[in-house]
Amino acid sequence: MFNAEKFIETTVQELKNKIKGKAVIGISGGVDSTTAAILVNRAIGENLRCVLVDTGYMRKNEVENNERMLKKLGLNVLVVDAKERFYEKLMGVVEPEQKRKIIGEQFIRVFEEVARKENAEYFVQGTIAPDWIESGGGLRDRIKSHHNVGGLPEKIEFQIIEPLRDLYKDEVRVVGKTLGLPEEVYERQPFPGPGLAVRVLGEADPESARIVREACAIVEEEIEKAVKSGEMSKPWQYFAVLLPCKTVGVHGDVRAYGNIIAVRAVESLDGMSAAYSKIPHKVLERISVRITNTLKDAVSRVVFDVTNKPPGTIEYE
Amino acid sequence: MSEAVKVYVVDNGGQWTHRIWRVVRELDCVTKIIPNTTPVSEIDADTLILSGGAPRVVWESPKLGNCTDYFDHFKGPILGECVGMQLMVIHFGGKAGPAEIPEYGLAKMQVIDEDELFRGLPKEFLVWESHNDEVKETPNFKVLALSENCKIQAIKHTSKPFYGVQFHPEVNNTEHGEEILRNFVNVVKRKRETD
Repeated sequence: MFNAEKFIETTVQELKNKIKGKAVIGISGGVDSTTAAILVNRAIGENLRCVLVDTGYMRKNEVENNERMLKKLGLNVLVVDAKERFYEKLMGVVEPEQKRKIIGEQFIRVFEEVARKENAEYFVQGTIAPDWIESGGGLRDRIKSHHNVGGLPEKIEFQIIEPLRDLYKDEVRVVGKTLGLPEEVYERQPFPGPGLAVRVLGEADPESARIVREACAIVEEEIEKAVKSGEMSKPWQYFAVLLPCKTVGVHGDVRAYGNIIAVRAVESLDGMSAAYSKIPHKVLERISVRITNTLKDAVSRVVFDVTNKPPGTIEYE
Repeated sequence: MSEAVKVYVVDNGGQWTHRIWRVVRELDCVTKIIPNTTPVSEIDADTLILSGGAPRVVWESPKLGNCTDYFDHFKGPILGECVGMQLMVIHFGGKAGPAEIPEYGLAKMQVIDEDELFRGLPKEFLVWESHNDEVKETPNFKVLALSENCKIQAIKHTSKPFYGVQFHPEVNNTEHGEEILRNFVNVVKRKRETD
């Protein structure tokens, strides 16, 4: 069996031996990067600088909430507002792999700037097994370039350290719990590094990001409410995706013509395989009504995705 | 307590190669992932599990490295998964190629001969698949299981301790997957004791 205590002990020791001086970590506030940060923090303490990038593709209130949470954990956090530069670089880009590569590069450029200022030679990432497996290489086909592996630019100024590389999400959660993270952190659902940019299919302009951000918030709130009231169990991951195609609707006797939101929810252990969640229709209906009413100018239809992984992946791009 | 079984996972570039490693580790085996180009002389394992992978068995078999060498020269049981099984079948005179109906994700599997691999398991359960090719003919092997769209889901060589599965026991969604791998490890243990 996976032994979290032993993993923590050997990893902290290895990190102590490896990192001489200062390090920077890319942190989102999700379970992987937060767990990695606590491990490195145990090894080198104040010498770790945690950089939370506001890409413009984070969920509703996520940057503010996570900054607060990370500071409460005693981490040395710096928030970098990089919204404009991400939006600008992604302007007109529709191909999913190209989007992921641009995002991967922009992340690294932000971290390099901080590392230079801080005089840090090491860069820590919360990379876990599915990130490098799905990014491919050698014999393994590339399913998608995860921003922290396949999306990395060729030239990088610092040495990369990935303490969670061989773990899957469920194992990281156990490590996080053992390290004393609050439940809301170690039980948090996964959120992709490129954020909402891969939940807007095609060009992820700021307006589309705003729409899918709102839709994601509604999906999360309605599902979490239903979980609390005992109507359903909590899916492994649940979110909304903005599809780049339009359908006709009718709003107050007037023709409407808006985009489609797909609701996705899956059951999984490690993200490497998944079954779609059998959400009660009443919950789906509440989600649908709220999205189409709240986002009436942009969305005219809501669909529910019933694809497993394989053949689908969990996220769309 | 006897020494832990040493299981090497031969990497054919599968999405779930590392999953096999993880499940085998959870079965308290000593395990590591090795490239499929590893010479058989450098392998000191009790058993090999050949992972699946993207290479198509008919026209990309050079990408499967030394796997066929393992069939001839490795001294111990082998479990071939997906393309690993397809290659094994071809090597021993059978046929494999593009599937009539490929299977991705969920499939219902029926066990027709439990042998040691499916010992103690139900006759029917849900498994997870991901294959474009399939086994067509298997002389020298007996068929242990089938699904609606794929008639050869699991096989065992008639005289050697070689097994093959088309589905993926290492995938969490596969029912009884860990038990199947445990059964295989038990085959290895018994073989080690009798040798």
